[in-house]
Amino acid sequence: MSAAIPSVACLGVIGRNNNPLHISIFPSYDPAANTFSPIRNPLQFSLLLSSTIDVFDLRSKSSTASGDFGLLHAIDDRLAAYGFETNTGVRMVCIVDMRGRRVEAGGSGVAGQGSGAAGASTVGAGLRDSELKPVFRAMQSAYVRLLQNPFYDPDEHAPLGGKGGRRITSKKFGDDMKRIGEAWTPGVTTL
Amino acid sequence: MAASKASRIGEETRIDKVNAELVTLTYGTIVAQLCKDFEDDYPEVNRQLDKMGYNIGLRLIEDYLAKSNTMKRCANFRETADMISRVGFKIFLNITPQVTNWTTDNNSFSLVFDENPFADFVELPDDGRAQNELWYSNILCGVLRGALEMVQMQVEAHFISDVLKGNDTTEMRVTLIRYIDDELPPEDD
Repeated sequence: MSAAIPSVACLGVIGRNNNPLHISIFPSYDPAANTFSPIRNPLQFSLLLSSTIDVFDLRSKSSTASGDFGLLHAIDDRLAAYGFETNTGVRMVCIVDMRGRRVEAGGSGVAGQGSGAAGASTVGAGLRDSELKPVFRAMQSAYVRLLQNPFYDPDEHAPLGGKGGRRITSKKFGDDMKRIGEAWTPGVTTL
Repeated sequence: MAASKASRIGEETRIDKVNAELVTLTYGTIVAQLCKDFEDDYPEVNRQLDKMGYNIGLRLIEDYLAKSNTMKRCANFRETADMISRVGFKIFLNITPQVTNWTTDNNSFSLVFDENPFADFVELPDDGRAQNELWYSNILCGVLRGALEMVQMQVEAHFISDVLKGNDTTEMRVTLIRYIDDELPPEDD
């Protein structure tokens, strides 16, 4: 007997020109085939991330001081998008799959903490916004490390006043995102 | 024995501090700008960094001698190497690279950098050439060359490995070419 707990399905970083800077996609557990595979294709994830931009815009009018936007929208019974915005206009989105990871029932101590494994089977039970805080904190510090690299040119990636911008190609940043996405599970406090 | 004395001098010398990130970002900007100005001609960037370091070294040696209060000359090149690592690098960068891989004639050694404040956060450009051609911290070679030239030692210094390129260590090779006679004016470079 096994139960499913939430995991990260996708991490996205959006530049201040509403341009995609980085997208990482993580496989979810598929109980039918007993395998791990992404539950959406890259284009669909890209569209989901784009759709969060409107929510960011709408909410920034009554912006929170911390930059944490909490739950942006619940996409379906499995997927939910959470967001964070820095004062420079860089937005980070974490799409959570509520049943993305499998745990043996009663076996894992980690699953019992946080929101609890049993309640996670429906989005209604949901995650507390604070559960995602470590993810955004880790993403932000990875982004800060990226900016410290003298060969990374922020202007190139989000030209002032203009449109578009190039994607992040840094391998270190990609590895950081991969690590964050794979390590997070409800109850994790540091990444 | 000499080594422990050198360590003591390095430890005891009080020096004004500056924020490490300021140094890292300033140096990073210089290298990145050089790469831009010379249109990614990395061998040329290496040369320019070395030249800048040389000019720093010519001036820095005076500061080093004043701050370290070492009036005695080093008796041999081995002692010089110890002083470079444990006093020079210690007071200016707060690191002590290991001195190893001596040749049998005692004229050539390696400095192995366990940490390199210049290279924090750095990721070399992924254009297929920088990884092979650019020596990011090459300014240090110039500094040693310039500083030692002012105390009558002509040396040749170059990096042979760098963690930024995926090597296990960052290693600089320093070779003594000759002691410059006091009578001769120093060569123009």
